[in-house]
Parts: sequence; C-alpha cells; structure tokens
Amino acid sequence: MLSDPGMRKYLVGWALFGVALLLFPQVATSGTLRIFIFANFIAIFAMSWDILSGRTGYISFGHPFLIGIAAYTSAMLTYHLQTPLYFSIPLGVIATMVGGTLFFLPALRIRGTYFALVTLAFMELMYQLTQVMRPDITGGTRGLSGLPTLLTGALPNYYLSSAVMFVIAFCLWLLIRTRLGTALSAISMDEDAVKSSGLDTTKLKLFAFMVSAFVAGVGGTLYVHYLGSIAPRAIFDINFLFTILIAALLGGASTIIGPIMGAFFLTFLLEYLRPYIPGTERYFIYGSIALIVYVLEPKGLHHIIQRLYGALMRGKQA
Amino acid sequence: MALLEISNLEAFYGKARSLHGVSLNIEPGKIVAIIGPNGAGKSTLLDSIMGITTTTGSVKFDGQEIRAQSPALNVKAGIGYAPERGNLFPFMGVKDNLLVGAYTSRDKIDENLRMVFDLFPVLEQRQTQETGTQSGGERQMVSLGRALMTSPKLLLVDEPTIGLAPKVCLDIAAALKKLNEETGLTIVITEQNVNFAMSLAQELHVLETGELRLSGTVDELQGEDYIKQAYFGA
Repeated sequence: MLSDPGMRKYLVGWALFGVALLLFPQVATSGTLRIFIFANFIAIFAMSWDILSGRTGYISFGHPFLIGIAAYTSAMLTYHLQTPLYFSIPLGVIATMVGGTLFFLPALRIRGTYFALVTLAFMELMYQLTQVMRPDITGGTRGLSGLPTLLTGALPNYYLSSAVMFVIAFCLWLLIRTRLGTALSAISMDEDAVKSSGLDTTKLKLFAFMVSAFVAGVGGTLYVHYLGSIAPRAIFDINFLFTILIAALLGGASTIIGPIMGAFFLTFLLEYLRPYIPGTERYFIYGSIALIVYVLEPKGLHHIIQRLYGALMRGKQA
Repeated sequence: MALLEISNLEAFYGKARSLHGVSLNIEPGKIVAIIGPNGAGKSTLLDSIMGITTTTGSVKFDGQEIRAQSPALNVKAGIGYAPERGNLFPFMGVKDNLLVGAYTSRDKIDENLRMVFDLFPVLEQRQTQETGTQSGGERQMVSLGRALMTSPKLLLVDEPTIGLAPKVCLDIAAALKKLNEETGLTIVITEQNVNFAMSLAQELHVLETGELRLSGTVDELQGEDYIKQAYFGA
C-alpha cells in the first residue's frame, strides 16, 4: 500500500486532514466548534447516504428513517430503562441495521423513482408512528428530552464527533478502493452488466445498505446523545433529508471527501446566514447555490476544487 | 457431448413471447454464429442462456441444467458474456471495467489480465481511460476483455461488430479466432453482419422472429437461396 506513490499521496492528505481537525480548536471559538460538531454529524449522514445512493444509484429519500430508528432506540432505552449509553448506542445501531433491512431489502428490488418514493414513504410512516403509536414510550409529538449526553462542552464533543467522522470517512475510503467498492460503483452505471459479469447484485446492494445503515446508526445515536433530546419533526423531516442529500450532491456524490465538503459548506453557510435571514428563507439561498453548483458542475464542489488544483499545477509547470 | 444443449427454449417479456421453441446444440471448441435481423431474438437468446430473461424449456451447460439459474451462477459455471458495447461502466477506467469481470476467477486475475492485454494491446496503454471516452472499437474490446476475465469455457458475444469500421471488425474477428485456436474456447456470436459471421464461424443458425429457420455449416448455408435473397439481396 505504502509503496504506491499515488496511495502515499492520498495517505499524506488524510494525515494532514487529521492534524487540521486536531489543531482547529486552537483557532476557533466555542460557537464555531458547535457549528463544526453539527457539520460533522451532517457529514456522517451524507457519507451514509452516499455509500448506498451515490455508489449504487438507488436514491434513498428515507435516510432519516434509518437515523431515526437508531436515535429513538437509544433514546427510549436510556430514558425509560436507564440503560447505560455503552449498551444503548450499539443496540441502536443494531436496531437500525435489522429494522432497516426488513423495510429496505424488499424495496431494493425496485429501481429508480419507485425506490425513492417507497423510501420517502418509510420516513413519513415512521413520523406518524412515533406520534400515535405508544406516545407514552416515544414521547409522541413532543418527543423525549433530558436524555443523557456522552460528553459535555463544545471541545470534548468537537473531538468526539470529528474523530468519529474521520474514522468513518477513512474506513469508507479504504472500502471503496477495494474491488468490492468498484463493483458497488458499477451497479449505479449498469446493474445488468454487473449481473452478467457474475456478481450477485442483491448481495452487493445488501452489503452497501448494511454499511450505510451502520454509519447512519452510529451517527444517529451519537447525534441524539449530543443534543440530549429527540422529537419526530427534528428527525423525520424533509428539510433534514434535503440537507443530507444536498450535502452529498453539492460536495460530490460517489466520493468520500465530497459529502464532507458539502456538509461543511452547507452548515457554515446556513449558520452565517442566520443573523441576516433568521427564517427558513435561508433554505432558499442554499437551494439556489446548490442548484447553480449542480448545473455548472454536476460532479460537485470536490470536482471544482480538483480542476482548480489541476490548473494550478499545470500553471506552475509551464 | 455438446457443451451447450438448448431444447424447446421459450423466452418472455411479460406476456410477450420472444423466443418460440428454440433448440440447438453447441459443440465444444467451435465458433458458432446466430444470425438474423433486428428483433429476431438474438440478444434475447443470449440473455436467456445467461438467466437474465424469463424462460421455459431446457438449457444444459456441461451436462447440467442451468435454465432459470442466476447469471452469477452461470458465470461461475463457466459462461462469459460480452453484451453490446453500451453495457460498460462509462465512468470507470478500462482496468476497473475488466476487474469487475474478475470476481468469479480471482485466482487468475493477473494471468487473465495479461491474456486480455496481449489480445488487445491498446487496452494496456489505456488502462486508466474512462470507457465512456473511448471509441466504439475499444469499448467492444473492453466488453470482450471483461467477459474473458471470468475464465469462461463458453464465450457469448452479442453483436461484436455493430456500428464498427470494417478494419476494427477484422481486428475483432482475428482476436476471436486467435482465442478459439490457441485456447480451444467455444464462442457463440450473434450478428446481423452475415459476411462477418461467415468469415468467422464454423456453424451458423438463422434466427427470425424468435424461431430458428435454418442451421448448418458455412459451406452448406452459403449456397442457400434464402440466405442469398434475405441477406445479400441476390
């Protein structure tokens, strides 16, 4: 691995990214760190979405459904049964992987718009269920608050969320560099050709889904125990869904760094717009920016930066 | 014993039947061509052998019934499939496209890659080029190469010359002949280009509107009035 110069270049990039995350609190205020924490969670969710939808081309509109299963499981266990977090968090992740599989696996047999619509229905179904089915357990419309948090304070939470985001990103990056990752990408381009090359696409899609659900579960449980509260409208929400989707698409789908870039760009943009446009009109601004970027460069910010870097290098050589 | 035995094969797209009781045997080590016009059912026949379409009847490969078996199992059994050149992964490089074909034959990746690059040297020079940016001929070579990466005993090739320049057709024919002569690989091609099929295959089957109309060696069919009228306008 290290003997390959191309690989060495990437590993140096990852090391620099890690060091930058470590040193960032030295120059950032507590407020900026809190925005950063939120961006880390959006990046985790966007990577989770991307490994399923960006890679295989099965566009999921139901990702908050997966995040919500993990978040609600852990929240209910800690709230009602006082389960310690080191039990409730893995249980939440397992619940997402098992529960999500029960719903998503049959849906993976359908393609395109139908898959997107079915997954959207899952999210809406979960929204309704958490409100009407045993509100004494789920907290109903108001949700649950006063949940235990893993850590307190901006700095510890910054390090925790950054470490989790970094480890997930690095592991996914390693995964997509394997032949398994190549096969997942091939599904989005021509699933029938993958089948006729001897690969079992159902198993491949299930694998992509399980990885996606695992990442969504980890993100969802940590997110709820960072916030200390959960409500149906905070999770099973169309704005939350679009923030995840646009982060992945704006940054550059089918890449690892793209969803991270998109998440940070969107989160900081929304936060910096808040003093000037405090209402939901902010979403109009980010929607417009996303649209412009997507029209100009469908491969996203990641590709724009890559092209600029390429041009810079060529300019230096000339 | 025939390597591939097809008996009374019918294929369906929903309720529409597109193959009507096709029966044919493919002997090992031969190059066989299925010829016919657009819509004759040539691609459907190959898809049916691969298990991609809904079928009835029987398809035996190496003596084993494989009809309705998944494409993944059919490839594992030793059937390589090169669909029309549009079925590549356009945003992936040549080598990655080839490696997608290598899943069922992981212990022979280097050996098979060498064979493909020896057969089509241009692919070795363009390993990282995205196939979406390649010429039609090169894409056809990648498609054939990807099928060869599965270490097949039987290679199915769907319309290898469609839309290609005559020079490229000759190159493809030479590569397929070389494969057949040097490795004894059994090859089934579908073609509309009857001249190409006759120059390459030892045996021809004429498929029209989902039915086999004629079968025979090249010598036998060359003199057939029907072939002359239908394909050469004589």
